[in-house]
Amino acid sequence: MKCVILAAGEGKRMNPLTFTRPKVMIPIANKPILEWNLLNAIDAGIKDFIFVVAYRSEMVRNYFQNGKKWNINIEYINQGKALGTAHAIGIVEKFVNDFIVLCGDTIFGRKDIKNILKTNPSIGLFKIKNAEEYGIVKTKGKNVIRIYEKMEKPLSNTINAGIYHFDKKIFDYIRNTKKSPRGEYEITDSINMMSKEKNTEGIFLEEWRDVVYPWHLLDANEEILNKIGKNIEGTIEKNSTIIGNVSIGKNSRIMNGSYIEGPVIIGENCKIGPNCYIRPHTSIGDGCHVGNACEIKNSIIIKNTNAPHHNYVGDSVIGEECNLGSGCKIANLRLDKKNIKVVLNGNKIETNRRKLGVIMGDKVQTGINSVINVGSIIGNNVYIGPGSIVSNEIRANAKIV
Amino acid sequence: MCGIIGYNGFRNADRVLIDGLKRLEYRGYDSAGIGVIGKKLNIYKEVGEISKLEKYIPSLDGDLGIGHTRWATHGSVTKENAHPHLSGNKKIAIIHNGIIENFKTLKEELEKQGVKFRTQTDTEVIAHLIEKHYKGNLENAVYSALNKIKGSYAIVAICEDEPGKIIGARKESPLVIGVGDNENFLASDIPALLKYTNRVIFLDDGEMCVVNKNSISIFDENNKEISKEEQLIKWDFKDAEKSGFPHFMLKEIYDQPDTVQRVFLGRISEINRNINFPEKVVNLINNNVSSIHIVSCGTSFYSGLVGKYFIEKLTDIPVVVELSSEYRYFGTKKEQSLVIGITQSGETADTLAALKEAKNSGCKTLVVTNVIGSTATRIADAYILTQSGPEIGVAATKTFTSQILVLFLIGLKLALLNNRIGADKLYEHILDLKGLSKKVRQVLDKSEEIKEIAKILKDSKSIFFIGRGINYPISLEGALKLKEISYIHAEGFAAGELKHGPFALLTKTTPVVAVVTNDSTYDKMIANIGEVKARGPQVIAIAEENDTEIEKHADYVLRFPSNSSILSCVSIAVILQLLSYYVANLRGCSIDKPRNLAKSVTVE
Repeated sequence: MKCVILAAGEGKRMNPLTFTRPKVMIPIANKPILEWNLLNAIDAGIKDFIFVVAYRSEMVRNYFQNGKKWNINIEYINQGKALGTAHAIGIVEKFVNDFIVLCGDTIFGRKDIKNILKTNPSIGLFKIKNAEEYGIVKTKGKNVIRIYEKMEKPLSNTINAGIYHFDKKIFDYIRNTKKSPRGEYEITDSINMMSKEKNTEGIFLEEWRDVVYPWHLLDANEEILNKIGKNIEGTIEKNSTIIGNVSIGKNSRIMNGSYIEGPVIIGENCKIGPNCYIRPHTSIGDGCHVGNACEIKNSIIIKNTNAPHHNYVGDSVIGEECNLGSGCKIANLRLDKKNIKVVLNGNKIETNRRKLGVIMGDKVQTGINSVINVGSIIGNNVYIGPGSIVSNEIRANAKIV
Repeated sequence: MCGIIGYNGFRNADRVLIDGLKRLEYRGYDSAGIGVIGKKLNIYKEVGEISKLEKYIPSLDGDLGIGHTRWATHGSVTKENAHPHLSGNKKIAIIHNGIIENFKTLKEELEKQGVKFRTQTDTEVIAHLIEKHYKGNLENAVYSALNKIKGSYAIVAICEDEPGKIIGARKESPLVIGVGDNENFLASDIPALLKYTNRVIFLDDGEMCVVNKNSISIFDENNKEISKEEQLIKWDFKDAEKSGFPHFMLKEIYDQPDTVQRVFLGRISEINRNINFPEKVVNLINNNVSSIHIVSCGTSFYSGLVGKYFIEKLTDIPVVVELSSEYRYFGTKKEQSLVIGITQSGETADTLAALKEAKNSGCKTLVVTNVIGSTATRIADAYILTQSGPEIGVAATKTFTSQILVLFLIGLKLALLNNRIGADKLYEHILDLKGLSKKVRQVLDKSEEIKEIAKILKDSKSIFFIGRGINYPISLEGALKLKEISYIHAEGFAAGELKHGPFALLTKTTPVVAVVTNDSTYDKMIANIGEVKARGPQVIAIAEENDTEIEKHADYVLRFPSNSSILSCVSIAVILQLLSYYVANLRGCSIDKPRNLAKSVTVE
């Protein structure tokens, strides 16, 4: 049994985070999305993996290598040009017999993967409230009748979750799959052909976390952090307070007067404090510095980034190698308490969140006492001058003075 | 120049090959072909663009194959002459980019042994040689065959009896290995691979590789296995055609160490000390040429002016250089005089019209162009290709240096035919030509210094370029380049002419770029720089490396490798191109597509 993980996508809706990494390599709770998926699949008993890669594939390869670190085998197949999910699955034909497929950017649970493994062919289904963004599945008894493209007014709230169990026969259907109206070869079209000719079981999942837009990372982060335990490998100075499940990596130092409320994960080689407040559901990657009089809450700070003095970071995702100037603060709540809308790649999007700070790319520098407004998107290498007020979408390399 | 691709993996080879060939189409596209091993070896070829070939091939099931897109140099454009070429038993297929210098001798030898040739190409010789040495192991056969070959090559070979491997080898033509997972690639250039992998191994001259699906072995020129590091290419997909350069113009400037060499590949033979041109060309110029007219426009006009210096110096035949648009109506068109038209695209309407007029008046017409099959090649009695590969930046760069080198070769050939130079003198020139590529590379290595000078020039309203002798037209071209892409007013002058008028325009804020070479004009140039300095402007001198005097006179100095030969103008031209590029870049201009200009001007 092999597990094929689709990890080729660029993830344009995750810009600016995906300008410098593929979507599956965005970290949640200090591990790439793909690793969480891999760990669950390993727990479900799978040993052989094929990663279908393309966009910035070297990052996936460098991180996971041949899988030895996890005692598994990982093979890589480069998809080439991204021509859709049917194309991505089609190219592994020569390397698989009986296999399951996971979309690498969705996190699936261990038990659900086990259930999918038992039945061939089968498709993972999930019930959600707002199904407009997903393929809708029509079922009859146990079986899938048809998968529809996303609809404005969904027929039902059962969606295609993005996990499948196939055998060699699927490739005949894939070969006969035509390009969809949006110009891609979709596996759902292949499945619709298959489900007409043979029973294809729909299996309802218990857990499912899809991340489409950057603010969804915060939800996934919260979910995963709720499950972590306490694990302290770094050093904690006197007069620091650690409450609840907090994980602190090697060589990290928690300095006098720090107050950390779990669940919180802090990577290796970090310098935290003195006198800072880290609140629940915060992930701080390796090599970060959170200094005096800083408060961090419900946020992801990726790596080698500093919030060194007098900073507030709430409900935000901050990229690698950023530096916040002294007194730079990030707003995360509108004064009228309304839901926050975001402008991403020029489109205005409703986030359905009341609290959202900033989504910041890599290597951003902010000046002292600069202010970043709720729901801002800041591209890579942006330079924000002292005292500036920033809102909405700021494109990469911009200088704001 | 041709494009090569090889694939060994799990995908349908024909698709990968066609896809790669489309990315290599810029290297030539008069005909193309692929060879795929499925149950057996199948070859498909077609004249014309890759898309034509694509329509013609059926769906193949092989997962190993080779593909080639051709830009004819030996043998006409026909389906037979397209690659891949087969051995006599049709089991071995090869593709080749380059020129086999000793192919006539090898062909005769093989024919004596009863080998039948199917095509006029030099490449077919290699296929037969490999078959002759084949004893069940393709890499050994390729190694033995290549030992017999003189010339330049990148070759890729496959054999029906060993369907799991591809052999590649290179000497003076590019070949790179693309490293994938469960698949590997070979190609002339990285853009052909980027869709599938960004891990590459660059082969060096004399090296050979055996490419299997899951492994790659590399051998040095002594057939000893070596290990080479794989490198990660970090360009974005969309930058691929520019090979990672921000603009086509810069890429094309950096192509020049390669393109200057390609001008004389297959045209100079060191061994019998001769210049080889197609028979048609030789017949045309072998017949008592008493005067030469060069007709052209823009940059080609300036390369014509440089050519005048070369040809007159080498042959004493008077050369008149005229603008096509003027010559057409007003030039003298004597019967039996040789008219040389220069046009990169071969479609320049003014030059085509001038050539037609000349031909109608009984002149002999010769064309120097970069595009085979272009209208100019069909109008003229004979043509010589610059072999520079497509030039996409509107401002001509590599084709300028290639054009002047073609004119240099024409001068040498005329001098030989008229017994003006002997074999020894010719040999000196050949060595000069061969050393040129390295000198151009040395100039490119100094781009940082040139960038610094560009910072000084970028806000000027007007810039003068001055030079004497052959460097006068080089100065004209330098000024044209600058004004074309940076929109700064620039003029080139013969240094001696400044005092006859242009001095009136000279102010403190008009920088002057002066080309100074260590020849009979040196003292005069120093005097001219003095005259300029007396009026206040900054002087940027372009001078030889070993010129220690020049600092005393000029404010800034850019150096080119010392070289007493007349070919140093090539290095100087490259410096001026880079200078224009960096000035335009600092000013934020649209470098590859300057306002109001087109690459190929097809209106009169």
